[in-house]
This record gives sequence, structure tokens and C-alpha cells, in this order.
Amino acid sequence: MTTADRFLTRPRVLATGGLTTLRRQPLLVVLAVMVVAFQLSTDSFLDPANLGGIATDAATLAIVAVPLALLVISGYLDLSVGSTFALGGLVAGWLATNGHTPAVAVLGALAAGAAVGVVNGVLCCHLGLSPFIVTLGMLTAIRGLAQQLFPLPLSGFGSGFAWLGGARIAGIAAPVVVAALVLIAGALFLALTPTGRHVFAIGVNREAAHLSGINIRRTPFALFVATGAAAALAGTIKASVLDSVVAGTSGSGFELAVLTAVLIGGVALTGGSGSILGVLLGVLFLGGLQNGLTLLSVPTFWQQMAQGTALVAGAALAYFAPRPGR
Amino acid sequence: MTTNLRIRGLTKSFGGVKALDGVDLTVPAGQVHALLGHNGAGKSTLIKCLGGAFPPDSGTIEIGDRSYTRLTPRESITAGAAIIYQSLSVVDALTVAENVFLGQEWTRHGRVDRRVQEEAAAGLLERVAASCSPRDRVGDLPTGQRQLVEIAKALSRSASVLVLDEPTAALSGAESDALAERVEDLRAQGLAIVYVTHLLSEVERLADAVTVMRDGRVTHHSSVAGLSRNELVEAIAGRRHDATTRSGPARTAGRPRLTVDGLYGPGFGPVSLTVGEGERVGLFGLIGSGRTRLLETLFGRRRGQGGTIRVGELTVNPTRPAQALAAGIALVPADRRAQALFPSLTAQDNVLLPSIRTLSRAGVRALGVERRVFGSLAESVGLRPARPGLPAGAFSGGNQQKLVLGRWINEARDVEVLLLDEPTQGVDVGARQEIYRVVTGLADERGTAVLFASSDPEEVVALADRCLIVAGGRIVGELSGPDLTEQTLLSAVHEPDSRPAQGAA
Repeated sequence: MTTADRFLTRPRVLATGGLTTLRRQPLLVVLAVMVVAFQLSTDSFLDPANLGGIATDAATLAIVAVPLALLVISGYLDLSVGSTFALGGLVAGWLATNGHTPAVAVLGALAAGAAVGVVNGVLCCHLGLSPFIVTLGMLTAIRGLAQQLFPLPLSGFGSGFAWLGGARIAGIAAPVVVAALVLIAGALFLALTPTGRHVFAIGVNREAAHLSGINIRRTPFALFVATGAAAALAGTIKASVLDSVVAGTSGSGFELAVLTAVLIGGVALTGGSGSILGVLLGVLFLGGLQNGLTLLSVPTFWQQMAQGTALVAGAALAYFAPRPGR
Repeated sequence: MTTNLRIRGLTKSFGGVKALDGVDLTVPAGQVHALLGHNGAGKSTLIKCLGGAFPPDSGTIEIGDRSYTRLTPRESITAGAAIIYQSLSVVDALTVAENVFLGQEWTRHGRVDRRVQEEAAAGLLERVAASCSPRDRVGDLPTGQRQLVEIAKALSRSASVLVLDEPTAALSGAESDALAERVEDLRAQGLAIVYVTHLLSEVERLADAVTVMRDGRVTHHSSVAGLSRNELVEAIAGRRHDATTRSGPARTAGRPRLTVDGLYGPGFGPVSLTVGEGERVGLFGLIGSGRTRLLETLFGRRRGQGGTIRVGELTVNPTRPAQALAAGIALVPADRRAQALFPSLTAQDNVLLPSIRTLSRAGVRALGVERRVFGSLAESVGLRPARPGLPAGAFSGGNQQKLVLGRWINEARDVEVLLLDEPTQGVDVGARQEIYRVVTGLADERGTAVLFASSDPEEVVALADRCLIVAGGRIVGELSGPDLTEQTLLSAVHEPDSRPAQGAA
């Protein structure tokens, strides 16, 4: 087992390296087959420029997928991230166009996203309302709020703000660096902190966790806040890349894309199981699929069909595959 | 006389534990057959096999003239078996008539014919002498009437075998008497009736024959006529085990560790008791006597409405489990699956989840320490297999219970008062002895005060220094020393005046 594996998978006593990892992450095989197939049919899939493009696209997905995956593992769900994504980009863009520094713009977006998370968290964790209903309602409500606050498209954010989406750090695009940091933080959190273990416990059996003296509200509440802030950050990065943001369309459908990546990555919607390595593979699979099909000039609706089919096929495979450790 | 029910050699295992081991039961038409035994003796498994809830491993079930090696719930109904479980399966939102004919509605031109259905229901209700009307909403009826609705439903399907699972457990005295008369009527109408109960007075009043089960086997079978109460108690308790399983002499209580004064809440109390340092005190009573509520209130899962709880000199009155744990009170709940186990998480996580924060340094888990604490715990409780990475769901019931118990007795915890609710439910005999040994050792070596609830007299005798008899949410008696035997315990709860009061679930 390599050090990276140890950080990315849940700490379990694995027999030995590669084979076990493959059995636990069949998506790795699927991903490899997909890469080979796209490279053979397009010849340009593995070009550094194209891989960089995939990574940048996948970055916004990954930034939100990590906290969302943790939230789902703890037995909750957040569908409102698509609208929070838009709200974050709009708040940051508005602050940038009104003469504030990029740092203030980013902080403003994070605060707006966290505020959405606080509302979700209070309603779901403290009042015990259904997370599906609450966050579905918030998805619509926040979209409406964003359009009310920012009826006109925003653009022209200035070179400082553009740095966030366009800069290269040691040759790697800034969004990819941010996504990598989020992935590593998520994996370390799950593996090495007590609260990381509590996330699983709460997702598997909330009553037993409560009777074990674990605070069953605080941790999911914090994850709602983190998911909201991450969605706003992803929206800010997207606004920086495009140098424009539109309240009506920004991030629409993003909530489903992130959730698809999380579920393809093997996180159980019923809570209690999943890994950050799986989330990474899910994000790469979805990003790679989209990119490869675009290179092959496959029309958008076929691409959507492919994504949807991949999710259902993944669920079916997980159902029929022998479950390790059960 | 025709035989309506004949069960032969029925065997059923759950994860290596034999819940039923070659059980025979024959009930002719017009007989009330009492089925007795402790919790976990296999009575529930037997009737669930009969109802088609799960398939037996081997053996046959004959209902009327048909023979089955396994049954689906639908086959069981069509064959003529009707099982009235303790948790009734009536639909509260529907009327009495709709419930009686649920799934077999009287229709005309594809629409339910309410009038005909209500008339037919009225006839069936008369047969069971129910006082409710076919048009009443079932949710508005008292438990006794709802039970009769379910029996009427069984009759509508022309059942020939009726199984009643502790039917009077949730009934008031008057309702119980009324039910007894209905049972006598139905016997006169030629039904074969299996009557599961804990109350010997009911056996003596109603039953023609009796079968006693213990550890999945039939240990006694006879007619009731000429059988004395002592013989019956002896049959349930088995041969005298006291001398062999009793774990050392009862100790004299040390300073009080747990002091409960006038504690009351919904369904129990007021209760006052003390458990001394290193003392093991049992709470013995029937299901529904309020034992679980008392333990859950001590642990802060429920809020008490008055009274005080002290650990040593310190008043605690916890409102959350975390508070109770901080004060040194821990609970092992009765329902392992629902309230204690994390089946998909590893054995090590199951034991250490409440302790990883205490063991961690600067917010980072101390993985090496965790492994060592788990290792020494696994050894001390005799965990098999002692593999930290195996999911808890893969262990046997007994070893799962060791994990749950281990959560509070490992070296990372300092528990002063250990509460156990049915500590060996669903645990095989071997692991049971190990759990007794561990709990006894804990009290002797660390001075932990142990308070446990049990409905198994054998367990109380094996584990308790002293036993409090619980009925109707109150402590109604106390047994200790040479007076504490299975026979005295059984007689204590089977006195007619100690039947649990209505509503004390």
C-alpha cells in the first residue's frame, strides 16, 4: 500500500496493494478502458493540453464533490449546490466589479455560500426536516434570490480576479491546485480525525451514534456549511474563468452533475459508506467522458444519455458485484 | 378429532445459532395449546416460520391436509393459519370492515360494495363478540377491540389455526378476561389455537395442553389437567442450574455508586434504588414492565419528569447520552441492530468510536494507540475472530454483543455505572457465559456498579447479587441470597397482582 492509498482510502487492513484496491475500486478499470478507447479513437485525448482542459473542468466538480460526499456519507444530501454555485459567482463578480480586491470578492462568495449552508443545516440537522425537501426548495429559492439581486449579467472583473481561474502554479492551473487541496484535505479528514470516523458512524446508524455519545447534529451541520461554501467557491472560479456570470443560467444542472460524480464514485446514497479516492475517480470519469465525447463531436443529448446510463449501470454493477467485507 | 396443525422436526439457524432445533408441535381442532418459554427460547421463531416470515432449514409444517417444508406468508394464510402478532397488523386509517376484508374486498362491477362488506363484517364481529361497529375507524379503537378486529379478519379467511402471541400483554384486566371468553368460544367452534404467554394463570385458565421451549428445543409437553403450578415452573426453569452457573457468593454492597431517588417518567416510577460499588443488581420483570424506560432515563435517552440520579456524591440527571457518559454512566441497549451496532464499520471502529477523540492528539487520531486498545480488549472479552478490520455485521450475535459491551469497558473508558438491557439477547450459550464472566470481572476488579434488566430468570440468577422485581413501572419486590432462584423469580412475576398496568409499555 502506497502512502497515497493510505490517505485516499479509508484506513482498513488491506491484504496487499494493487489487487485489493482494484477489487474495491472497479471504477479504476472502467476509467482505464475509457482512456484507452478515447485515445485510440481521437488520437488527441491524451495530449497535455487536452488533459489540462479535463482537469480544469473536473476541478469545479471535485471542489464541491468532496464536501458533498462527506455529507452524503453522514446520511444527508444537498441539492441546492447548483444555485449556490450561481450565487457565489454573482457575489464575487459584483464585489470585483465594484472595486473590491479579489480576496474580498472570494471571501464574500464563501460567506454567501456558508450562509446557505447554515440555513440548510439548521432545517435538516436541528429541526429534523427531510434534506431532500429542504435542499430541493433551497435550489429554487436561491436561484430566485440570485436573479432578484443580480438581474443583469455581470462581466469585466479585472485582471486580478481573472488570476483565480487562469493562473498557473508550477505549471498547473490554479483551479486544479485548489481541487487537489480540497481532495487531500477531505481524505485526511476522513482517515485521520476523530470527526471523520463520526461521519461514518452517523451515516450508518444515527441512533447508535447518539447512544455512543457522539454529537449527531454538529458534524452534518458543519458539512452543510462546508458544502455551501465550496459550491460558492466553485461558482467564483467559474466566473473568473469565463469573466462573466449570469444569474439565470450559471450552474444550472450543476447539482445533478456533482451528485452523479459522487454516486458513480461509490458513495452510498443511504449513507455510511464511500471514499475520497472513489470521488476522485468519479469526477475524472465524468469529466473524461464529457471531454472525449465532445472531441468525437457527439451531440450534447447523446452525451447526457451516456452520463445517465453510466450512473444507472454503475448502480446495477454495485448491486450485482460481490461486496468486499460483507 | 382432526388435527389442524402438526409441526415436525422444525429446525432453523441464524448465523450458526440454532434458534429452533427439531421442534414438534401438534394441535388438534378444538384445543388451546399454550406455548411457554423464556425470551429467546424460540417461540417467536417458531410462529414466524408458521406464518411464512422466514423459511425453516428443515422439518415440515402441516396445516389441515396440506404439508409444507417452507411457506410464503400468502401460502400460510390460504392454508388456514392466522397469526396475531403482538404488534397488530391492522391499518389505523381504514374502517373496521375495510380492515377485515383487506385484500379480499367484496366488489360489484369493480367497485367495493360497502354495504355488503359491512354486513358481512358485522356477522364476523358478532362471532368474536366485539362491541365496535364495522364503520368505526380502527385507529380510534382501544387495543382490545383492534385485536378482535384482527381475529375477525382471520375468521373471514376461514382460518383453522389461530396463533396468539402474548395477546394480553397490552390489555387491561377487563379486556384480558373478555379475550379469554372469546378464546373459549373459538375453541368451541373447532379452531386449533396456539397461545403464547408468560402468565401461568392464563395457562391454567385456558389451555388444554402445554409445550415448553428452551434454547430452541421442546423441553416439556403434556396436557394441563393434573399439572401443578410448581411442575409448570420447574418445566420452564429447567433443572436446577443455580449451583453451577451462579458466579460466586453474593458480595456485600460497598459504598453506593448509583443512587436513584424518586425517579419517575412516562410509564414508570417513582423508583428508588441504589447500586453499590462492585455490586451487580438485576431488574427482573416481563416485557413492558418499564425496565427499559428506567434504564433509558438513567442514561439520558429519555427525560425523567422528577427525582434525582446520583453517581457517587454527584447529582447527574442527564438529558443527553453524552452527559450520562461524561458522568460515567454507560448503557448497552437491548436492540443491538437498531441502537448499538454499526454493521458496515469495522470491529475496531465499533469499539472505539466514542473514544477516538479522547485518544487523539492535537486533533489527529492516534492510530497506534487505537490498535493497541482494541487488541487488549479483544483478548479480554474473548472476541472471535479477533480481527480489527472485519465489519461488525460479519460477527456472530455473541461477538457483536462483545463489541458493543467492549465499547464501554476498554481501557480508554472509565465507566462507573454500567447499565445493561437484556445483555445476552440473541447471544449463543458459549458467548453468554463469557459475557457474564466479563461483567462479573468488571464489578469485582474495577468496582463498577452494574444494573441490568432481564426477562430470563436463569440470567438473573447467574449474574445478579441482588434482584429487584419490576412490574407496572415500579419495583414490587426484592430477592437476594438463597432466596434468589429461578423458581422464586418466576413465582414473583406470575402472581396475578403483579401483572403490568395498562400503558406501561
